[in-house]
Amino acid sequence: MRINRVGNVALISLALLIVLFVTSLGAKAQSPQATPPPPAPPRSAQFPKPVEKTLANGLRVIVVERHGSPLVAAQLLVKNGAEVDPPELAGLSNMTADLLTKGTEKRSATQIAEAIEALGGSLDASARWDSSRVGVNVMSARIGPALEILSDVLRRPTFKEDEIERLRQQTLDDLTVELGQPGSIARYVAARVIFGGAPYGQPLAGTPQSIARISRNDVVTYHRRFYRPDNAILVLGGDLKSANAFKLAQQYFGDWAKPSTPLPVLPPSKLPASASPRVVVIDKPDAGQAAVLLARTGIQRKDPDYYRGLVANSMLSGYSGRLNQEIRIKRGLSYGAGSTLDTRREVGPFLASAQTKNQSAAEVAALLLSEIDRLSSAAVPDLELTPRKAVVIGNFARNLETASGLVAQVASLALYGISFDEINRYITNVQGVTASDVQKFAGTHLAVGNASIIVVGNAKEFLPALRKQFPQVEVIPVAEMDLNTALLRIKQPSK
Amino acid sequence: MKQQKFVRLFMLAAIFAISLGCAEVLRAQGALPKISFRDRHLANGMRVLSAVDHSSPTVAIQVWYHVGSKDDPVGRSGFAHLFEHIMFKATKNMKSEMMDRLTEDVGGFNNAFTNPDVTVYYEVVPSNYLETLLWAEADRLSGLTVDEPNFKSERSVVEEEYRQSYLAPPYGMLEYLIEQQSFIAHPYKRPTIGSIEDLDAASLENVRAFHNTFYRPDNATLVVAGDFDPRQLDAWVDKYLAPIAKPSTALPRVSIKEPERTAERRITHFAPNVPLPAIALTYLTPSEKDPDTAALRVAATILSQGESSRLYRSLIYEQQVAQSADATPDLREDASVFYFNLVLASGKKPEEGERALLAEIAKMQNAPVTAAELDKAKNQLVTNEVRQRETSNGKALSLGEAAVLFGDANRVNTDLRQLQSVTAADVQRVMKKYFTAANRLVIYYLPKTEQATGHLKSLEDQRPRVAGGQGR
Repeated sequence: MRINRVGNVALISLALLIVLFVTSLGAKAQSPQATPPPPAPPRSAQFPKPVEKTLANGLRVIVVERHGSPLVAAQLLVKNGAEVDPPELAGLSNMTADLLTKGTEKRSATQIAEAIEALGGSLDASARWDSSRVGVNVMSARIGPALEILSDVLRRPTFKEDEIERLRQQTLDDLTVELGQPGSIARYVAARVIFGGAPYGQPLAGTPQSIARISRNDVVTYHRRFYRPDNAILVLGGDLKSANAFKLAQQYFGDWAKPSTPLPVLPPSKLPASASPRVVVIDKPDAGQAAVLLARTGIQRKDPDYYRGLVANSMLSGYSGRLNQEIRIKRGLSYGAGSTLDTRREVGPFLASAQTKNQSAAEVAALLLSEIDRLSSAAVPDLELTPRKAVVIGNFARNLETASGLVAQVASLALYGISFDEINRYITNVQGVTASDVQKFAGTHLAVGNASIIVVGNAKEFLPALRKQFPQVEVIPVAEMDLNTALLRIKQPSK
Repeated sequence: MKQQKFVRLFMLAAIFAISLGCAEVLRAQGALPKISFRDRHLANGMRVLSAVDHSSPTVAIQVWYHVGSKDDPVGRSGFAHLFEHIMFKATKNMKSEMMDRLTEDVGGFNNAFTNPDVTVYYEVVPSNYLETLLWAEADRLSGLTVDEPNFKSERSVVEEEYRQSYLAPPYGMLEYLIEQQSFIAHPYKRPTIGSIEDLDAASLENVRAFHNTFYRPDNATLVVAGDFDPRQLDAWVDKYLAPIAKPSTALPRVSIKEPERTAERRITHFAPNVPLPAIALTYLTPSEKDPDTAALRVAATILSQGESSRLYRSLIYEQQVAQSADATPDLREDASVFYFNLVLASGKKPEEGERALLAEIAKMQNAPVTAAELDKAKNQLVTNEVRQRETSNGKALSLGEAAVLFGDANRVNTDLRQLQSVTAADVQRVMKKYFTAANRLVIYYLPKTEQATGHLKSLEDQRPRVAGGQGR
């Protein structure tokens, strides 16, 4: 028996929108050929419906069938990630996840890679904010053997010293390369500026100093504390029957013992008492382009304003969003400008960004500020709001078209304890957002008075102009940048 | 996301199609998904490929123009790509950015990419907008009416694309050098992004001339995949696209042949913002239509896909000489370039990286790959292709590539057979045939701060000050 495909949502809203749009264009019509033909009636979309069971050991198993392509994606989420890394050990969760695939009681690192790649897939293990994940994506006939490998690396990693040392070196080199990118530096700096010493302020993959400190004992302890069935979720999606999926879950994860100790109770992380906004320049004289970022706090995933936030962000972001309209399309100042409202278990960041030639960095900073400010100072016309809602809805629906996209979406709802009914309420929820909601959201959650500006680039090209707008600008040479603290600057040795 | 469009390798991913089961598990499961398609040739020379799939109420529309950066006019490198951006500006019946109104505003998206051989425009929209988009594609095929301010503004965008893709990332200029230095005679020697001098020299008159020369129905292939009714599609194609006249002039085609390499060439380039030194080795290989392509694809997969690949295992894991190591078969219509690039691990010298890499190449030449490696590579290639075909847009890409670049749409369903028949001996044979010292270009890419110590001749003077990109 199949339990799926209950959802059935009509895209009627989109039809209304195009009729409106075509009518406005049609006013100037000279001949039938001169205007776009109107759309046909829309077809309804069907969203697959997840089903779930909890195994005796507390592991929550969720299955979502979609049979178009012979692929299955699986993701095992541990419900903690980089947010529980101790401040002096930033990058611990990430190293722990990376080390899962570097050796188990029965397989070496090389054997693990050979086994999963022989199936045509790969194991993707990583820590993020709020979760650690191991995922696979394989042809459906191979999901059993793939899950066996996934279960092995998750439950029985050996964390050998030589693998830890090897990974430490690799992580340091990866950081060296990543910090050559102005955009990456800007995002790390933004996190410190917004969150200070709170967990979301740390670089997710650590700093050279914290990576050097991580010991085998730290890794083993992290794994023992958080990687347990009653703190995990398994999501399987794509071309498989739910009954078979539950059987596989029981087979490979059913004997994953639940520890007798209670789950760690973590205090909710506190935001620093609204730190005053900063303007920070990281001077990187060899930067071929400047990265410009506006940063402030956003909202939690469970905030009742979530959908208002999605639509407000869509007003600013996307190809035809206001930021790209003003910065790229009207002025040719960037290849692309946009924003993200990154919602997490706790309040996450709101970031607006663009890369531009060094000489125009100050102009782009001013445009980011003025466009975000305009969202709260004047109501959005419906003619502009309606298409931006269509963008949100279209992206959501397309994300569900692939096995991996479907699993990611369901995993995110499950991680934050949100009902799967939201999948079928999504379109209605987005449609319900009004112009006044957007303006209120922008005034409350995106106010630029609390926003910081970060520019990473060749400072001599833009500093004079930037200083005129922001006399308080702090300039930190890249060689003196320190991502370990909110100060962001290496402390001078005492004299 | 127009801003991230281009991705040269995008095209490579689509090369092999699926038809027959390869590994035993796949056979046990029955036939692999096959793309059933229709192939129409209109009287004006336009070709229309279509594949129905009702699994989502969306449809992908692509127009492939058989013109790429190898067709950039003389003194106008980067022009085909700049032109691609201009195709989103005003046309006879559309204002600038109206394509976004017809796609993004109704919940869809659009984009385009340019590579050395083709320029491809695509849209994914709710399926009830198919007719609207066919009208729009017909309109921009019929002519552009872009004005000077819009032209110049978009040219600035392309310059920012160049900076974002080649100047801001630490190894962007190495990618540029691989493209630029691998060819000496064929126009492939001009990177698709071009040069700022040439872009700045481009005019609206060039835009009109380029459109007249290459944007014509007999140089275009329409691909439609997803949720539509074939009879309705035919009627709309007849209404909007079939009436566009075919010019009587001949289509210019590049006839310059890249000469065989006769001796190893070495270049050292000092650049700003090089966190760790890097090296690249490039080898010329034949056109993607050549039968050796399948074996070269398998070789690249065995060398560098995944952590069990030879380069990862030897250079990154065991010897720890590299931070990253890739082998890329950059397949092209006239001649291909197979390149390796390594970023060195900290403290390692480029000579050590080169030695280690050459040793791995020699191993592939001196002994056949194992049966397990061969099987794994085939499974990886099949799975990649099935993933690409999960969406209608991906399916259309596979179809367009087979028809336009391989010259046979059926290859979307037959190429996998060829891939499956590749043997260990084939892999060894192509490794010996193409990966010779005489066919090698070696690039050392080093931090400018090391320049004083007198390495080999620098290319600094030849480095273009700015160039163009590849996506919209």
